[in-house]
Amino acid sequence: MTISTAPVSDPVATDAPPAPTRRRRPGHAREWWLGAVLVLPAVVLAVLFKLVPLVRGVVTSFESSSGFGGSEFAGADNYTRMFDDPMVLTSFRNALLVVATLPVWIVLPLILALLIHQRSPGWKFFRAVYFVPYTIAPIVVGIMFRQILAPDGPLNALLRFVGLQPLAIEWLNGRYSALFSLVAVALWSFFGLGVMTYLAGLATIPEETLEAAYLDGAGFFRRLWSVVVPMLRPTVAYWSVLCASGVLIWLFPLIYALTQGGPGDATMLPEYLVFLTTFQFLDRGYGSAIGIALFVFVAVLSIFSVRHMFTEGTRKPR
Amino acid sequence: MNPRHFARIGRYLLTFALVVVAVAAIYPLLFTVVSSVKTQSGFADDPLGLPAGITFENYLEAFRRMDMPRLLLNSLVTTLGGLVLSVLAALLVAYAVTKLRFRGGKVVFLLIIVTLTIPSQAIIYPLYQTVLDLGMSGQYQGLILAYAAFGLPLGTYQLAGYFQQVPDELIEAARVDGAGHLTILFRLLAPIATPAIAALAIFNFVWMWNDLLLPLVIMGGSDSKTLMVGVSLLSGQYDVSVPLVSAGLIVALLPVLIVYLVFQRQLVSGALAGSGK
Amino acid sequence: MFRRRLAGALAAGMAAAALLTGCGGDDAADGPVTLKVLTWEPGGAEYWKQVKTSFEGSHPDIKLEMQSVPFDKYPEVQGPYITSQSGPDVMANNAGLELFDRRGAYVPLGDKAAEINKDLVTYSGACEGFDTSKTCYGVPFSYQGNVLYYNKAVLTAAGLNPEQPPATWDEFGAACEAVKKAGKTCLALGLSGTFPAYWDFPEIARNYLTEDDIRALLAGKLSWKDPKMVSVLGKLAEITTKGWANKNAPSITMLPDGADIFQRGDAAFAGTIISDAVNWEAFGKALGDDKLGVTRWPAIDPAAPLAGKFSGIEGAVYGVTQWSEKKQAGLEFISWLAGKENGELWVKYGKGQPLNKTVDKALLPSSPAFLKIQELVAQPTLHAGVMLSGPEADALARGWQQVTLGQLTVDRWADQMQQALERSPTKKQGK
Repeated sequence: MTISTAPVSDPVATDAPPAPTRRRRPGHAREWWLGAVLVLPAVVLAVLFKLVPLVRGVVTSFESSSGFGGSEFAGADNYTRMFDDPMVLTSFRNALLVVATLPVWIVLPLILALLIHQRSPGWKFFRAVYFVPYTIAPIVVGIMFRQILAPDGPLNALLRFVGLQPLAIEWLNGRYSALFSLVAVALWSFFGLGVMTYLAGLATIPEETLEAAYLDGAGFFRRLWSVVVPMLRPTVAYWSVLCASGVLIWLFPLIYALTQGGPGDATMLPEYLVFLTTFQFLDRGYGSAIGIALFVFVAVLSIFSVRHMFTEGTRKPR
Repeated sequence: MNPRHFARIGRYLLTFALVVVAVAAIYPLLFTVVSSVKTQSGFADDPLGLPAGITFENYLEAFRRMDMPRLLLNSLVTTLGGLVLSVLAALLVAYAVTKLRFRGGKVVFLLIIVTLTIPSQAIIYPLYQTVLDLGMSGQYQGLILAYAAFGLPLGTYQLAGYFQQVPDELIEAARVDGAGHLTILFRLLAPIATPAIAALAIFNFVWMWNDLLLPLVIMGGSDSKTLMVGVSLLSGQYDVSVPLVSAGLIVALLPVLIVYLVFQRQLVSGALAGSGK
Repeated sequence: MFRRRLAGALAAGMAAAALLTGCGGDDAADGPVTLKVLTWEPGGAEYWKQVKTSFEGSHPDIKLEMQSVPFDKYPEVQGPYITSQSGPDVMANNAGLELFDRRGAYVPLGDKAAEINKDLVTYSGACEGFDTSKTCYGVPFSYQGNVLYYNKAVLTAAGLNPEQPPATWDEFGAACEAVKKAGKTCLALGLSGTFPAYWDFPEIARNYLTEDDIRALLAGKLSWKDPKMVSVLGKLAEITTKGWANKNAPSITMLPDGADIFQRGDAAFAGTIISDAVNWEAFGKALGDDKLGVTRWPAIDPAAPLAGKFSGIEGAVYGVTQWSEKKQAGLEFISWLAGKENGELWVKYGKGQPLNKTVDKALLPSSPAFLKIQELVAQPTLHAGVMLSGPEADALARGWQQVTLGQLTVDRWADQMQQALERSPTKKQGK
């Protein structure tokens, strides 16, 4: 194993360098200054365009604002209000349902990437084609899928043609089918990005190592989990975090174009509710509060996956 | 049936599955292309079928309505600016927190990663206010910096993950040979991370190119608006013409496809595999 | 403070733009004044091109810089401008509650209102509480509202008389049965989004409410549990629960999908607007002017005082912003919008009903559908749809979808509407 022979200390960030190099050197302070200079641009960007607005948003979430009139301090009113608001509760329940689909988001592109990487016939063609959906702007994805998912659209025509008549439902009209159709459309949009990410990860693994893992037929999945996934751990972690933090945001333009949160509240998700509350209902304080709740929700979700991946990584030095 | 037969059937099945996914991936693009050469009423009559006749009127109309050279310039400047800046800033951070004796690096790293989870809808008002306070509303640099900030967390995360894999001995060796920090970063580490940088470049290019929220909030509807804002202007309050929007989209899609074709070679270059370690 | 910074930023931005385009910049000191106009281009891009050319032609000292934003992104762009009190010199909002909610952003016209708007048929949607004696905030120039378009060929095929479309609720029901037997959709409808709720609600509400009731609705003083309002919701529900509309209505948009059903000749009726798009002009082109009929929505109670009226509303209202440093030029521009010249541009390029009375009648289209609309709009009343706050419009649209799918009863719908009213920040202050 090539890569993993490296001493794996703390994969996120090393406060202290690994033991063998820990020597007191006169350059120590200078190195700290160099580090500070190097991180400065990024810190400035993150603070100015993300953290300052976030803090201002938190301040707004403690205010009650009536339309565009003045606002006054409202304490935690906006937060307590959320617990009595069925729409807020529904939106987070729907968000959990979406999150429950994450394993598919992580595994499906991995399998496709492996098939391409092991030079299946026509792999170059597949590699190019799979990425196409990601390049199509969300506004148009919505327009296209409104037609494709229509009751007499091409999807149902195909299902009827192959004899799967009972599956040809009104996709966007049902309580759960609407939400999962949206998720499927989002997955369609992004799986190519996942394939590409995994291919980039696979490129760092020596051919010989992988060849042993590739196979014809049986044992594929077992070897996938025992050989390939451990080597790809950083990439899998990266893609998981990207999906966990992104999936709700990626769904937003699709909700906008396809369902507007409907029918009823079937596809209402927190990000869309923030948009509605802030810009259509003109309730900025409450909108900010829901936004902060969403921030916490996503942060918990992603931090959990980050931590999980890295504790896993540190536990098994190979 | 011997195992070889199984293997062959397995291969056919796999190829078949790949083809099905490919059709699903490409069909909507074909749908868009076909829609873009239909007339408005032709589309209303039969949204899904092949057009009775091909018209390029939608493309002409799209070009008439949009100041294409200017929009293209705006999109290129802001997207490339944001892309380069975010990758550059991410490279520096990744190096500092993984390869330097840098106390507080973990905090900085977490601070940057956590910004990934801030929902953009919730910070539109304060973001605009902040851009305004900086005097950057309606200006290229406002959008470029915002793009860079929004692209930063993932870039940092991915590059740090990559650098982590590079053995410290390699860097020590380079140091002994007299290489400075910047040389190590750009001559040694960056080439190793080529696939990651290529993947990041493509990812960032596409979302920045297609984004509507940041350009609208920061640039308003002024002359500095981006191409995608121009495309979305093709549908009005009540007047939604799928063929016209499709035509606009195909035009806007071309630069993205070019960037993808340029970068995808780097994506699979397997830099680390050949690095001998 | 901010303003000065913004001015600096804008100057720098313009300088950059001038460099990039190779044009000479404007010298703010003695050159023409540049007005920034925030618009979603109601009436289409072509109409706004004409506005710019014509206005600049007759006003050499003022230049227009259009800031065009897609309609569905407009609130996200305008909201931050209003809270930060910065941005364009002239902005637009839809007449009615949408404008009233944002009145703090606009300079009141004061006693100039009557003079500016003197040739307009009506401009009350730009004035507080739809009362022209109260403060007015801007200038409308278009007229909007809904009619029922019908396809004469489909009616004929169903054995109905195309010259006598159904006039009452029961007749409409009978007509729908006949159309369905003939294998077509009766009413083309898409319920996703708030358009149909906005559009169809006033057509039903007219049968139960008086103008005073509608004003009470605006003020948030009319309860949704009032029997009148429950009846309105009940009739709205009937449109779909009686099977008059296409089955997938809850999950498709009215524009373009719902309208397309009608446009391709698959439906007998479609309730859409009179100006802009999806109107007599577009349908006439698709179906043939001779095949397109226009009628009022069927009356539920023909004896109701407003049943035979037209729920009309001014279109987009343009006003000068509080923070503009070019208020005089802004005022000149919006006054021009109310004038004859723009009225004629609106007819010609916006394909809409002009508000200006002095527009040359010879310019008006000769389509029979348009003439019929002229007849209908002659008896206007208040439009109940634009009295709804954001939460109410949203709850109305969502409730209708759920009632259609059988997930909600009308009484529960009324409860939800009342809760939405109580949640509306902008109606709270009206109490």
